[in-house]
Amino acid sequence: MRPTFFKLAAVATGAVLLTAGCADRGGVTEDSSEYPSEDVTLVVPYDAGGASDLAARTLAAEMEETLGQSIIVENRSGGAGSVGLEYLAGRPADGYTIGYLPVETVMLGHQGYDVDPADYDLIGQMVSVPATVAVPADSPYETLDDLVEAAKEDPGSITVSNSGAGSIWEAATTELGNATGSEFKPVPFDGGAPAVTAAVGGQVDAVVAGISETAPSHSEGQLRVLAVFDSEPSESLPDVQTAAEQGVDVTIGGWGGIGAPAGLPEDVLQKLEEAFAAAADSEEFTTIISDSGNIPVNVPAAEYAQFVEDEHKRFGELLGNQD
Amino acid sequence: MSPIVEGFGALLDPTILLCIGAGALLGMLVGAFPGVTATMAVALASSFTLALDPLPGLAVLLTIYVSSNFGDRVPAILVNTPGTPASIATTFDGYAMARKGQAGLALTASAFASAWGTVVGLVLLMVAAIPLSRLALNFGPAEMFALVVFGLTMMIGVSGGKIVKGLMAGALGLLLGAVGRDPITGTPRFTFGIPELSDGVPFIAAIIGLFGIAEVLNQILTHRRGHKVEPIKEFGRWFPNKRDWRTMLKPLAVGSGVGGVVGIVPATGGDIAGILGWDQARRVSKRPDRFGKGSLEGITAADTSSNATLGGSVTTTLALGLPGDSVMAVMIGSMVVWGIQPGPSLFTNQPDLVYSIAGIMLIATVVALLASIMRMRGVAKLLELPQHFLWAVILVFCMVGTYAVSNNVFDVGVMLVLGLVGLFLKRFGIPPGPVVLGLILGSLAEGNLRRALEIGGPANILTSPIAVGLLLVSLLALVGPPVRTALRNRRAKKALETPAP
Repeated sequence: MRPTFFKLAAVATGAVLLTAGCADRGGVTEDSSEYPSEDVTLVVPYDAGGASDLAARTLAAEMEETLGQSIIVENRSGGAGSVGLEYLAGRPADGYTIGYLPVETVMLGHQGYDVDPADYDLIGQMVSVPATVAVPADSPYETLDDLVEAAKEDPGSITVSNSGAGSIWEAATTELGNATGSEFKPVPFDGGAPAVTAAVGGQVDAVVAGISETAPSHSEGQLRVLAVFDSEPSESLPDVQTAAEQGVDVTIGGWGGIGAPAGLPEDVLQKLEEAFAAAADSEEFTTIISDSGNIPVNVPAAEYAQFVEDEHKRFGELLGNQD
Repeated sequence: MSPIVEGFGALLDPTILLCIGAGALLGMLVGAFPGVTATMAVALASSFTLALDPLPGLAVLLTIYVSSNFGDRVPAILVNTPGTPASIATTFDGYAMARKGQAGLALTASAFASAWGTVVGLVLLMVAAIPLSRLALNFGPAEMFALVVFGLTMMIGVSGGKIVKGLMAGALGLLLGAVGRDPITGTPRFTFGIPELSDGVPFIAAIIGLFGIAEVLNQILTHRRGHKVEPIKEFGRWFPNKRDWRTMLKPLAVGSGVGGVVGIVPATGGDIAGILGWDQARRVSKRPDRFGKGSLEGITAADTSSNATLGGSVTTTLALGLPGDSVMAVMIGSMVVWGIQPGPSLFTNQPDLVYSIAGIMLIATVVALLASIMRMRGVAKLLELPQHFLWAVILVFCMVGTYAVSNNVFDVGVMLVLGLVGLFLKRFGIPPGPVVLGLILGSLAEGNLRRALEIGGPANILTSPIAVGLLLVSLLALVGPPVRTALRNRRAKKALETPAP
């Protein structure tokens, strides 16, 4: 009799404590003026260790200082990033879950995944990874024009490696073809590094990849970067012209920003924007991002939202063409 | 001479030794925890080590890399669950040895083989980094395809004599490998509309299910039936005797060779090398029938080969600036932030750093070997737990570890389903090894074949001497054994027919 009573009592106490725990959380989130009163989770839709993860973790460490709460980075990878992005969209819009939004946010929806940029309140963009096109060091193509001419002469004969089917770099290859009226043959690899290796080893005619992936091999003399698809020349490749300077008006590339499930309370959004702006400007953040070969930026929410909308439309046309 | 002295001398700093100690502890732990891979551990640690100077930071990361390749052998041998994918081949003979009451010998031999393999890889790094890595650049999609086809011929070896059942399992693996996006067009296949499956069947979840969960379920079943499963309490001898050492010589040599080569090829690591080394050692062994049934040669070859890839991967990474495996891909990220640009110029600009890296890995190997040997007494204590508690704990560990891979319950579901599949295979005597081979190699073979065809059509493969050579070797490996058996049978028949004088 007695032991049963104790067991029941223990279970009841446990249940009460649990309920209290839940209630406590609910109570806090109702009053958004005290935000943030507990840890914030930052969802990264890729595995730990990649460039997106590095950018997100570095920014999170800086944002913690303004927000005064810990930011816990949670890697939810899978489905080309769609798993993490869908998870983020489904979280309560209370500011306690924010997420890293990569360029795939505007691409996946056109590729059959349930991802829509309208599901997120945008907080700011902090990193930009312009596309580059590079050829092996001993390639006969010296300029972007040489490569485009070759592709025009024999459409589909110029093989261009990229990091994967449906990736931003494959889309960039298509875009380059569209803009110049030529046709390249994209060859998707399993990741950016193998794609660059294939170009270094001369297995393909060219590679389209992010600047941080091609710049090191360019300075080693293994690859020759022909063009950067950005509005201004890059600091890490001062000897390389932009595509626009060579008469091909294309800017395209990867990017990363921070967002939250749509419908954040106004004051919470404002606090997050302030913390974001301070973090993206911090020396720690800009140094680590530049050192990793990418470009740190600090695009405020309104401007970022417009950019995302434009990109979403652009990739709708670009990826729609492929099917 | 001076870069060597400078490079090794830089390691005398007590801070660095402390970092190596911390890395070793962390590495052994994450290695022993199924699901947490060396890649994940290095990725998570690198967010802390970025704050350190390059050398102490590298000391932590490289030591995690090395020592997790010691720690992962322990669950592979004792509970048939690879701690990281690199120890898949360790389970083939390690667990069988443990079941035979030779767990002690298996653990010690595995530790020595792993250490030997690592050292061989490091010697490769120091002696021939640049020329060797040039060789790696010749491996394009066509050559990779041929190499993977050669790997697929190992299904027969991994079948443990049950060829038909082995091939059935292999076909299942290939089928599982076909799940996910088409490598060229990106169209989802066999995903049933589940976004998680579009990246393919999650690999870590699959191997933990097939090996670990299947074993747990099997133990649960046999336990209830009142069968007395002989629990692994008997560790037997710990140290190899003279005869054991002699047995281990050949597999040590074979494993070093296979692992060294596989390590240098970009993007291939210890998991494939372990299986390949195990199979090559079986082919040259005098007792191939014992492989998979608790052969000391088997575990030695698997672990030597899998760890010999470490030096090879670092070689490719440092000499070419291209990641030799997934751990090095993460480490390149840190190196770049520290201002170390891996690539040919590293050897001319900072030769001392290359020796420091080799030195760190050498010290890490010694520390990990010592820790492995000393800690094993502690492991023995753990196994004195009643079996039903132990398996329950392992079940929890497998689930937590699998969840941690991408923080997704879906992976845990995959693990449990494949655990049931594994149980089914086990009950019907179908070996799980070929399933894993099919799963790893199937998608690699397809992706590279498609890429090769995309680049230059069939001619792209047929004009490559490396590819054609590897394909011929694969053909020989397939045709050889049945022909040999047929010849032997005929000879035996003749011998029978010849009337005795």
